[in-house]
Amino acid sequence: MFEQQLFNGLTLGLIYALIAVGYTMVYGVIELINFAHGEVYMLGAFLCITFIQALGVPLFPAMALAMAFCAGIGVLIDQIAYKPLRKAPRLAALITAIGVSIFLQNIAMIIWGSRPVPFTRSAVPAAFSETAFTLGSVNVSGLQVFIYALTIAMMIGLTLIINKTKVGTAMRALAQNATAAALMGINVNRVISFTFALGSGLGAVAGILVGMYYNTLSATMGYNAGVKAFAAAVLGGIGSVPGAMLGGVVLGVAETLGAGYVSSQYRDGLGYAVMIAVILLRPSGLLGKSVGQKA
Amino acid sequence: MTGNKTALKLLGLAALLAFPVLPISSEYVMHVAVLIMVYAVLAMGLNVLPGFCNLLDLGYVGFYGIGAYTAGILAYNHNVSFWLIVPGAVALGALCGILRGAPTLRLSGDYFAIVTFGFTELVVLFLTNEIWLTRGPLGLPGIPPIALSLEFLGIDWRYDFLSEVPYYYLGLAMVAAVYVVMCRIEDSRLGRAWLAIKEDPLAAASCGINLMAYKTVAFAFSAGVGALAGCFMAQWSMFLAPDVFKFWESFLVLCMIVLGGLGNINGAIVGAVVLIALGEILRVVLPKFGLPAETRFLVYGLIMILIMRFKPGGFFPAIAATSKKSRLILDLKARLEAERAG
Repeated sequence: MFEQQLFNGLTLGLIYALIAVGYTMVYGVIELINFAHGEVYMLGAFLCITFIQALGVPLFPAMALAMAFCAGIGVLIDQIAYKPLRKAPRLAALITAIGVSIFLQNIAMIIWGSRPVPFTRSAVPAAFSETAFTLGSVNVSGLQVFIYALTIAMMIGLTLIINKTKVGTAMRALAQNATAAALMGINVNRVISFTFALGSGLGAVAGILVGMYYNTLSATMGYNAGVKAFAAAVLGGIGSVPGAMLGGVVLGVAETLGAGYVSSQYRDGLGYAVMIAVILLRPSGLLGKSVGQKA
Repeated sequence: MTGNKTALKLLGLAALLAFPVLPISSEYVMHVAVLIMVYAVLAMGLNVLPGFCNLLDLGYVGFYGIGAYTAGILAYNHNVSFWLIVPGAVALGALCGILRGAPTLRLSGDYFAIVTFGFTELVVLFLTNEIWLTRGPLGLPGIPPIALSLEFLGIDWRYDFLSEVPYYYLGLAMVAAVYVVMCRIEDSRLGRAWLAIKEDPLAAASCGINLMAYKTVAFAFSAGVGALAGCFMAQWSMFLAPDVFKFWESFLVLCMIVLGGLGNINGAIVGAVVLIALGEILRVVLPKFGLPAETRFLVYGLIMILIMRFKPGGFFPAIAATSKKSRLILDLKARLEAERAG
């Protein structure tokens, strides 16, 4: 039983990690909590089932399409809402981010309705819902295998992009010091757009995976996922990409075990409790640099 | 000139006092007027953190919920008088405000924003799951109305607030009281310290302002006002459910102060009037376009984005109260702005 819970928690944690890297990358580059990120995650899931249902696209191309669309939406959000406020007080950008979040949530409600809808079952391969193999006492479903493979592949890809490519180097430079990066000839706006595209694409995949995993989508699903993924990013150390991955996994496991052994009703509150504990005990997170005293 | 202004103010006050007896005031209009007052108190209370201290609070309605449920449970189960509940609920709200803000005291404002973002969720979870205390999702119906009574003196006299009109006057008194307290604080040592922290925490600390102490007072004060509005609302609406205190409501209150101008007490009230009235209009208009009434938040979200983009000070930009008339400080502010932009 414990092993099964642990395994399910890991699955969920990997998905959280995918969302959390989006928060942490944007925070690293422009020091903004992008509250709208949770909504991009929600839009990813809805766009995917729309492509499947309305256009008859098979699952995997639909996922890729949704990912591309969300990457575009992420860039658009930044260009329209955040870019004009780069030099404004931080509070203005934060308030705008909340406004964008609520705006997108309501757009989704208008387009897809305010009731939860199931994921298109017919598009999902039958193998996903069957037990693929049994490992000791743990039953692993086909979908879980898929989630593991996809999320881990994406995180390896992301790590490679950040550490090995030119644009990744530019992102890290920007995170350290935006002015110095600009002086070195880095096109700051392009790098910021790339960061939004990357984070939003990953967030969209996470939304689709959650939609398949729980077989339900709703316009408000981004709120909870947003708080949790941000908690994961804080847990790992805000601004640190490996930290966000680790934080997501730890939070997913903690949440599943907490729901199984402590209280299932307060499942959604656990991320919050973890976050408060981290802020009190180690504000720089597990892998982050010291944040010091910023009053 | 000053005579005219005073006359205008008196006329406005007279109009507010006479409002319930005017022919336009149906039961529905009175209901909306009381609702506006509840939100005006909430907006003034929320304003303390983002407006005076530059801290974004996204979970303010949590305190409203704490106040409302304290009043609801005490009045419903133990028949405690409203007048005794208020100080207790305000104190409880203030305590929760301190507990919520304390972990973020030594960190940047971003941490405060995200902690408050999760806070509403926790309050709603608590109200939904602790069924023994709150009856959970079923809600708390049949809360007794506010009553004036002299029974504790042994005199057999009792007046129950059964229509909207007594609530209107009580609400007006509440708004006036909070307004006066807010204005007095804004212009006091406390308010000036908050504004100094808002402008530049480092400079404020260098001037000997104890950041932690002043922020803690702000957390407590803001939360206490939210709980006060909650007490009033519980015994006015006589029904509570956890869903009333979700994140949406916090967003609505935030939108009010953004619209009115962060940090401006008058602006907070104007924001409450405008957005509650707009909400009532949209509630009627939206279904005509086949949209659910909840989608009115689309409009609020848009208002917020547009104001931050084009009119970041809101419609009534705040100037520190002490500098309203001082040319010296205005000049200093202008030069400071120029230096920052440059």
